[in-house]
Amino acid sequence: MKEIPQHPEIQLPKGDSVPQWQLDLDKAGWLRRALLARKWYGGDWWFVVISAIILLFFIVIGALPKWFAPYDPRAEVGPSLLAPGEPPAAFVFLTRSDSPVKEFKEVASSENNVGFVVASPASQALREALDELNAEEERQNTGIRYQPRPRRFDTIEEGLKALEDGEIDAFIEASATAKSIIGKYKTLKIADTLREAAIRGFTLGTNQIGQDIFSRLIWGTRIALMVGLSSALLSIMFGVPLGLVSAFSGGWLDRTLTLIMDALYSFPGLILAIAIAAVLGPSIMNIIISISVLYIPTYFRIVRGQVLSIREELYVDAARSLGAKKITILWKYIFPNVIPSIVIIFSVNVADAILTEAGLSFIGLGLPPDVPDWGIDLARGQDYVRRAWWLITFPGLMVTMVTLAFSMLGESLSEIMNPRLAEL
Amino acid sequence: MPEVKEVLISIRNMTVSYETRLGAVSAVDGVSFDIFRGEILGLVGESGCGKSTLGKGLMRLMPSQGSVHGEIFFGDQDILKFTDDQMRDFRGRRISMIFQDPMTSLNPVQRIDEHLIEAIQVHEPQTNKMKALDRVKKLIERMGIQSNRLSSYPHQLSGGMRQRVMISLGLVLNASLIVADEATTSLDVIVEAKLVDEIKKIRNDFGVSILMITHNIALVANIADRLAVMYAGRMAEIGPIEQLFANPLHPYTQGLLACVPSIEIKDNENLYKMPGEPPNLTHPPSGCRFHPRCPYVMPVCKELDPKLVEGVPDQFVNCWLYQEQPVVNNPESR
Repeated sequence: MKEIPQHPEIQLPKGDSVPQWQLDLDKAGWLRRALLARKWYGGDWWFVVISAIILLFFIVIGALPKWFAPYDPRAEVGPSLLAPGEPPAAFVFLTRSDSPVKEFKEVASSENNVGFVVASPASQALREALDELNAEEERQNTGIRYQPRPRRFDTIEEGLKALEDGEIDAFIEASATAKSIIGKYKTLKIADTLREAAIRGFTLGTNQIGQDIFSRLIWGTRIALMVGLSSALLSIMFGVPLGLVSAFSGGWLDRTLTLIMDALYSFPGLILAIAIAAVLGPSIMNIIISISVLYIPTYFRIVRGQVLSIREELYVDAARSLGAKKITILWKYIFPNVIPSIVIIFSVNVADAILTEAGLSFIGLGLPPDVPDWGIDLARGQDYVRRAWWLITFPGLMVTMVTLAFSMLGESLSEIMNPRLAEL
Repeated sequence: MPEVKEVLISIRNMTVSYETRLGAVSAVDGVSFDIFRGEILGLVGESGCGKSTLGKGLMRLMPSQGSVHGEIFFGDQDILKFTDDQMRDFRGRRISMIFQDPMTSLNPVQRIDEHLIEAIQVHEPQTNKMKALDRVKKLIERMGIQSNRLSSYPHQLSGGMRQRVMISLGLVLNASLIVADEATTSLDVIVEAKLVDEIKKIRNDFGVSILMITHNIALVANIADRLAVMYAGRMAEIGPIEQLFANPLHPYTQGLLACVPSIEIKDNENLYKMPGEPPNLTHPPSGCRFHPRCPYVMPVCKELDPKLVEGVPDQFVNCWLYQEQPVVNNPESR
């Protein structure tokens, strides 16, 4: 560059009104943006704080479920359908009055018959008691195994009648029920407590097979975040570049890609996901793939539309008139102006992906059945809506919270990334 | 103006045509003229006469359905024969362009310094960022913008500042021609006056040529050294500005100058309106394209196309009145 003669008439105003520390701060780039964030939002900064807290909460429990979940999400840890906070009831076993039995293990050998009402928590109590006894014997290495024959009765009366008749050796019942009914049966007595009443129940109750709902929710967070985020990211990875290239190059490539994407888009979403998931089979990776295929056309269409309009903007013409390369124009002039829309779809999309995943699991095409997942919990819980509200309330609440948090995040991000809103 | 005129760009028989469903339309049709080094050339004409197309054609910035023919010599190279890569390097380095709307001609998500540094690095990739930044700072202060505004985003600058940034984008690479396509149209008169002043200063300091495409004849009168008048894709008249204003040769130029409103209030006098409409370029009139609206129309005008000839010294005109034809009507005697 040749020497520019200094022009005497142009007087530079002295910019002393801005303090030096602010000028220094200006050079900090993203840090400055973050520091100014509070200003951008004006009175709405709490909006960002709340969404950040909610998301952080989900990310932490999703990353470290072991620290937060009190039980194994797959194990049956308590009686089924226990309401939130309700401690499991105490159980006793009844024998005939003349029986010498003092302890439960005396009637627990494989020759004994033990009765209980079918599909009641009593079976759970029995199983627990036996597990405890067997564990004790195993510790002492005696080789004894307790495994009485279970006899199931439709009502408590039938069971106690059988006990009177000597068909079974013991009958298991919740202690409150047993105490109220024992008066009618002169030949029977309450022999011993099978299981003490627990002091603490389960925070959010248990489901129909006795799994702890709280633990399942926490472990489900990991699945939900994993499926939601990775399927949305996978869609972005394919949809955004395709949309950019398609709109920018135009011609036959654009027509072909648009045709394919419109074809994909014309399927009802869940049907397409079902089809892909059914072909691929149930696994986490497959469900991520099938959901992301579902959302690629969304990104493609939005990005393509944006590029088509941005391509005609004057600053793109100006960049061309400066001799910028096509790739530079696409990367530096068009792409950054598309990002805000991508972020907004992303946030909606993550939430939507979690719902779709729940939907797929609901109809059994999603995750393997033993995976702790909100969708599966919702699907199973709906049969018990009237008896056990807690089965679907809490997973539903989690889905709502995550959806909300991502939407709020998207809105915040789109504002942070929009330099037009960054006032100085 | 320097005494010895050095030709910067000579345009010969330049035609810009668009493929449309109605056939090829020539928005610029066989235009020839020179741009001298260090001059400000005003280019005026009605809307749709091909002014902007001419400006874009100079940089080969046409949409895909448009094409440029003819010869455009920059030095001894014909830029219409450049490959795409050569052309890309040529743009910005030799010719740069300022657009009509300064509000949208800068990338809203890029800071000012990023724009300028990128302009340098596009053409001189070996320049490191710190050196580029030094150059940019010097230049931008010369343009009357504080260097601490470099880290601003375009929306934080005023229209005049943005336009100056756009001009800097051309100057930072020492472009020898700046095509200003309606660069001041969207600015208010005060900013416009300032900018015009600055453009003059820039011309004087940097010795660049400026092709000023505009509707505003009063503005051109103030700033330009020469004036070119276009009509329906043809060059109607081109000549030194004082001479052309004092003595317009082409009937269209005469009409155009008569249309310019004056600030003096004359109650009894209506503004002159040129009769007729500009022609549709898909079916241009035969012969001279201005003949349907020309007050001096002759039989030959409907049949044959006139050429751009030197009517009086330095002043070229595209009209049968000044070529080897019987003089039907002497325009000077009017």
